[in-house]
Amino acid sequence: MPDISVTIGMQQAWLLPAMPVVAFLIISFFRKILPREGDFLAVIGMLGILLVTLFIIIDFQGFFHDGEFHPGEANVYAFDWVRISADNFLFLIEFSTYIDAISVVMLIAISIVGLMVAIYSTGYMQGEDRYGWYFAVLSLFVAAMLLLVTSGSLIWMYLAWEGVGLASYLLIGHYWDRQSAAEAAKKAFITTRIGDVGLLIGIILLWKATGSFDIQTIIAAATSGQIGETYLTVAMLALFAGAVGKSAQFPLHVWLPDAMEGPTPASALIHAATMVVAGVYLIARFSPVYEVVLVARDVILYTGLLTAFLAASMGLVTSDIKRVLAFSTISQLGFMFVALGVGAVGAAMFHVLTHAFFKALLFLGSGSVIHATGRQEVEYLGGLRRKQPVTAATFIIGSLALAGIPIFAGFWSKDEILHSVSSYASPFVYIVLAGTAVLTAIYTTRLVLLTFFGSPRDKSAFDHAHESPSSMTVPLLLLGLLATVSGFFVFDAVGKLFGFSGGIGYLVYLHHPHAFHIDWAFASVATVSSLTGVIIGWVYWHGGAERAIKARAWSPDLHALLVNRYYLDELYQGIINRVVLGLAGIVAWFDKKIVNETGVDGGAQLIGYFGYRLKFLQTGKIPNYALGIATGILVLSVMVLARA
Amino acid sequence: MIPIEYFLTLGAILFGLGLFGVLSRRSAILILMAVELMLAGVSINFIAFASYLDTDAFTGLIFALFVITVAAAEVGLALGIVLRLFRERRTSNVDEASDMRW
Repeated sequence: MPDISVTIGMQQAWLLPAMPVVAFLIISFFRKILPREGDFLAVIGMLGILLVTLFIIIDFQGFFHDGEFHPGEANVYAFDWVRISADNFLFLIEFSTYIDAISVVMLIAISIVGLMVAIYSTGYMQGEDRYGWYFAVLSLFVAAMLLLVTSGSLIWMYLAWEGVGLASYLLIGHYWDRQSAAEAAKKAFITTRIGDVGLLIGIILLWKATGSFDIQTIIAAATSGQIGETYLTVAMLALFAGAVGKSAQFPLHVWLPDAMEGPTPASALIHAATMVVAGVYLIARFSPVYEVVLVARDVILYTGLLTAFLAASMGLVTSDIKRVLAFSTISQLGFMFVALGVGAVGAAMFHVLTHAFFKALLFLGSGSVIHATGRQEVEYLGGLRRKQPVTAATFIIGSLALAGIPIFAGFWSKDEILHSVSSYASPFVYIVLAGTAVLTAIYTTRLVLLTFFGSPRDKSAFDHAHESPSSMTVPLLLLGLLATVSGFFVFDAVGKLFGFSGGIGYLVYLHHPHAFHIDWAFASVATVSSLTGVIIGWVYWHGGAERAIKARAWSPDLHALLVNRYYLDELYQGIINRVVLGLAGIVAWFDKKIVNETGVDGGAQLIGYFGYRLKFLQTGKIPNYALGIATGILVLSVMVLARA
Repeated sequence: MIPIEYFLTLGAILFGLGLFGVLSRRSAILILMAVELMLAGVSINFIAFASYLDTDAFTGLIFALFVITVAAAEVGLALGIVLRLFRERRTSNVDEASDMRW
């Protein structure tokens, strides 16, 4: 890379969240008077972020030699935010930014996808209500996400964690006049909140053990054995609980399919590329610690595995194209957690990057379909490749990447994960994961066939369809390009071309950087299984999808189980109705009967009763009062005289 | 000199009679007369103490004078109220004037 004299580097990482925050403030306050309600400010913000990210990467590469990162203090920027100190006691919360390879990967994903989504949104959201507010919240989201991935302090990361949850709630509920959207936003926030409680407990436990909120300090303390093993296991499981909520893993995955009520570009950014990988980022960050508490890491492994398989099975029967992609996201996140569960941090982060590109591509493509036809369910689609060629082509590229077909990005990252799993985990895990990969290929093929091929199922939707404007198709094309080539970053030669010491194995790793070599046998097996999935999908769903319809008739109960998402939503609602509302009923009874009626009303009634009985003393007759006076004087004088 | 107790007893009897009258009379004017009796009894007590114990300054005598003056003023006021009451109610029976009750 040419040696550019940079005044912006890792020390200025705080600019990353600062710029979109400014955009958010300006748009939200002045959108009524800004031209086009200020959407260009959001796009400019994204461009600025991309620029600063590039500078940070250049600065980062300066300290990266032969796969070893030795920045000294250059990658940390910190100042005291809250400092309370006494003799032996120090309570310190710093605002600090910390840049390393993991941050860099996240920054690339966020900045590129953010820019694509912002540009796309100017086309997609044209004419919608609260157009400016959408861009404001989008900027807010990006600000919080950037703060999350650059923060070196757990408290600021938690703040950003909640911030992305807030932005997600606002965006899911953007069409709040629709009851289902409002419900979905509430569900998303509450479900992730349950996980966030775990995260907070974990943060507090770690602070209690180490006295610090600084991530690197905690990692150093944990890996050097300063924290008891059981204690540390509990703390790390608590942190994982936060990841389970935010990254929609079983059992807290239920919010993500419903979150598709939000505008599609928001879904692309938040629920595909960035927010949902915050959990992956968290675990990746703490991967040196998880290596010390392998029990916790096994929990991560099996949770991810279960989630991946379950979600893929549910995606197979869904008819809403966005929901298929939502289940796909949950499943792919499961893949990332499986990788983390075997300690393959590089593979996980690589999949984060490629998944960000192809999943955002798929979501934006589906948005293009929705924008053109006004429909989301496959019952009303079909044959759209003739009306929307660019959308169809890019969507197919994204699907090939998702299915893991070679040369496309998903193949390389998924292969890395499967390879690590086969090396470090039991054969059972590998078989289930490989089976899930086949399922992925099947449901992806199904989606493509039902949407873009075959004959149109709804005439009015088909006639109305047209290719989307360039503000939407250009991001699709760019993301399509990235979904094709970003997989090549696994090669060391490609990595060196960009100024790194090698491919992804040299950038993100747990202990040692490792060079990349293709295991041809393994890769062929993976390719064959992906192609098998595609072929199965074609066999069942091409044309009029007769075979699929027959298969559904063959096992209606299984189909019902999958369509109803394993009845988990009903289970949770049942728990809420019985346990939560039951407890609430008891507390309400206590408040009404004991505090209100006995305490407050009872006290008042007691005094009223006494007052009623005593009032009869006031007869109004003068001789009675005279008697009272006389009696009083008599008693007093007797008391005085007796004392004397 | 006769012992002081004789005067004190006289004062006490007068006071007691007056107290009885205040408590048992129905007519307002009779109550006022009984109050005067109580004041008279008290004055006798003061004068007795002044003559027997405080021979130089006669503080009790001065006090008795005050009592008479105040009694006069008070009765004037009280009779005015009784007059008013009688004009409103056509009766001076204090038992009837019991409107400020529960």
